[in-house]
Amino acid sequence: MKAGGSAPRRVLVVWCPDWPEAAEDQEAGPGARAFEQVVSAVEAFCPRVEVIRPGVCAIGAAGPARYFGGEESLAGKLTGAIGGLGLACQTGIADGLFAAQLAAQARRPGAVVAPGGGAAFLAPQPVTALGSPELADLLPRLGITTLGEFAALPVAEAANQFGTEGVRAHRLARGLDPRPLAPRPPSADLSVSLEFDPPAEQSEPVAFAAKTLADQMHSRLAASGLACVRVQVQAVCEDGREITRLWRHDGLLSALAVAERVRWQLDGWRTGQRGRGEGGRGERGRGEGDQGDLGRAGGITLLRLTPDQLVRDVGRQLGLWGDAVISDRVARAAIRVQAMLGHGAVLCPVLAGGRSPAEQVALVPFGDAGTPLLPAGRLPAGRLPAGRPWPGKIPAPAPATVYPVPLSARVTDDSGATVTVTGRAQVSGRPARLWLWPSAAGGRSLAVTSWAGPWPVTERWWDPATSRRRARFQFVTEDEDAWLAVVQDGRWLIEASYD
Amino acid sequence: MGAEVAQVTSLSPRQDGGSVLPGEDVLPVLPALRDLLPAGGLQRGSVVAAGHWSMLCLALAAGASSAGAWCAVAGLPQLGVAAAADAGLDPARLLLIAEPGAIWPQVVASLLDGCEIVLLCPPDRPSAQVRRKLEATIRRHGGVLVVAGDWDGAQTRLLIARQEWAGMGDGHGRLRARRVQVVADGRGAWSRPRARWLWLPAPDGSVAAVAEGVAGEMPVRTAEGDSDWARGTAEADGSWQRANAG
Repeated sequence: MKAGGSAPRRVLVVWCPDWPEAAEDQEAGPGARAFEQVVSAVEAFCPRVEVIRPGVCAIGAAGPARYFGGEESLAGKLTGAIGGLGLACQTGIADGLFAAQLAAQARRPGAVVAPGGGAAFLAPQPVTALGSPELADLLPRLGITTLGEFAALPVAEAANQFGTEGVRAHRLARGLDPRPLAPRPPSADLSVSLEFDPPAEQSEPVAFAAKTLADQMHSRLAASGLACVRVQVQAVCEDGREITRLWRHDGLLSALAVAERVRWQLDGWRTGQRGRGEGGRGERGRGEGDQGDLGRAGGITLLRLTPDQLVRDVGRQLGLWGDAVISDRVARAAIRVQAMLGHGAVLCPVLAGGRSPAEQVALVPFGDAGTPLLPAGRLPAGRLPAGRPWPGKIPAPAPATVYPVPLSARVTDDSGATVTVTGRAQVSGRPARLWLWPSAAGGRSLAVTSWAGPWPVTERWWDPATSRRRARFQFVTEDEDAWLAVVQDGRWLIEASYD
Repeated sequence: MGAEVAQVTSLSPRQDGGSVLPGEDVLPVLPALRDLLPAGGLQRGSVVAAGHWSMLCLALAAGASSAGAWCAVAGLPQLGVAAAADAGLDPARLLLIAEPGAIWPQVVASLLDGCEIVLLCPPDRPSAQVRRKLEATIRRHGGVLVVAGDWDGAQTRLLIARQEWAGMGDGHGRLRARRVQVVADGRGAWSRPRARWLWLPAPDGSVAAVAEGVAGEMPVRTAEGDSDWARGTAEADGSWQRANAG
């Protein structure tokens, strides 16, 4: 349990006083079904509704309140909407579920407890509000009648005397949340399923059915204006075993792509089965012949797709670059490689602004539309724009090799002294040899046959933290290789080579 | 001449039929490379070995990329995207897998499923078994593997035999263009080696053939780029002066 804990989120509770208080296990009974219309009305304001029990439900208030013009106004609109169904209800808004529930049940309808005022609001409430018959019986006999008095006890004492239940109650009395709000899916029947009779022995027909199911699921989600972050694929085998796997969806997958994932899931599971069953025989190539034989595990009897983590559908992201629509085939290949190497291993280049070759490209992990990663350690936040003049940038032709980490180097003149550049851009001597990875022992050196420079650049002179003054050179060495070198503070680096 | 070549390059995508590259047997290459390759392009399902990592690898992939093919690059974290774009590769259809690691054969096989061209610098020398398995994958998907290195079963081998840089002297000028002699040989009917002189790159970063007869003369001089470079450095910091007026 978090000690102290951060301030709970703003929560709005809708309480229908006419509803009979039902025990937990009757939740799925007729009362729950009838309460569905109230929940649906609340969903019109916020799709993430948590049903506490039939008669009481809660939503996070911060977002909807912003949208509907304040908490008072949101509460008024909600009461009106439920009143329109011919049902009486009261609302309460406070920090955290407990306080909001009490506020809803307070005499004054539409009560709003100001942010931070939770503890003060709770203090005069009777301890019976904690909803624990044991404590309600015990505390008054100890002389504690209000939540304020209970909250004044040290946490350790509450834990000692009343156990975990006491700690939970103590947190409630102090205006802290015992647990975060867990929104239920807007409607349980967004999941789609199909039974196979006779059981499907091959993964092919299952994947085919998955496409139809995914189509259904997408149209249902679209009808409620929702998208799912993940989709849960559940396949039940004839022998009762289940293969369940969550796939990232982000509202981006086509029905075909979902079907493809179902096929991967089944194939992956089948490979695992075979590996275990036959003592880890080497993986056979995915020849056409052995596609999708589910074999001895028994066929698939049920396939269910459940959307997980529902979010408001804010539209489908098409291509990342202009009009380019990434074909399913390429996306599939990229996602497969990401599955092997990690999300950041597949990068897409975006041309950016900058002077050095490394700065002119930003790399974005495939599938991300966010800010591109800046090349190693560049300081400004965000990508620098391309297509603007960058005085002093490297002229065409661009180097074919840009070292992710510049190579350390040394350039010496005829006498063997390191070439330096003065503040007035004077070269100390004619560059004669280029040393790669110089060390005390020497390193590899190449005779310089032609050279040009220095081209001095002072970047971001207005910012002492990121400013740098450097001079660039181009060299052609004896083997006709061409290099782009930079000297800064007397240190030579090879930034790129023209391979 | 460079300008003419650039025009031809920009026209060729439309002739090749847009973004899908329908089931032709040969992927298009830049006009300058046509003479070097059997069938005048990259044979689908084949492996092309380009000796070592160089701009030649980019040039090989550029024609198909500008015609709409996707190109994946594995094992080459040092790839200069600006140079690739200048050579004709479309950065919007480029996937970079810098470190494919020990499972690179699986990574390449997955990439071949989605991309027409995979440019690979193998992190280690593949065993004959791994090689044959990958070659089978390439044939099945009809892609082309361009290897920055050697590959035993390659249908075509290209090599930069000689190169010389132009545009720079002893303390003046700048790198402008490189003239390279590319030698190609292959198997079967193509086993007779052939050599061509190319600008790799030409002054604008593109790839062009060196015209017969005027060998050694640069295609186009871009005075504009030069002045920009000089002006830029002057603007970047007035207190610095160019030591070598060039």
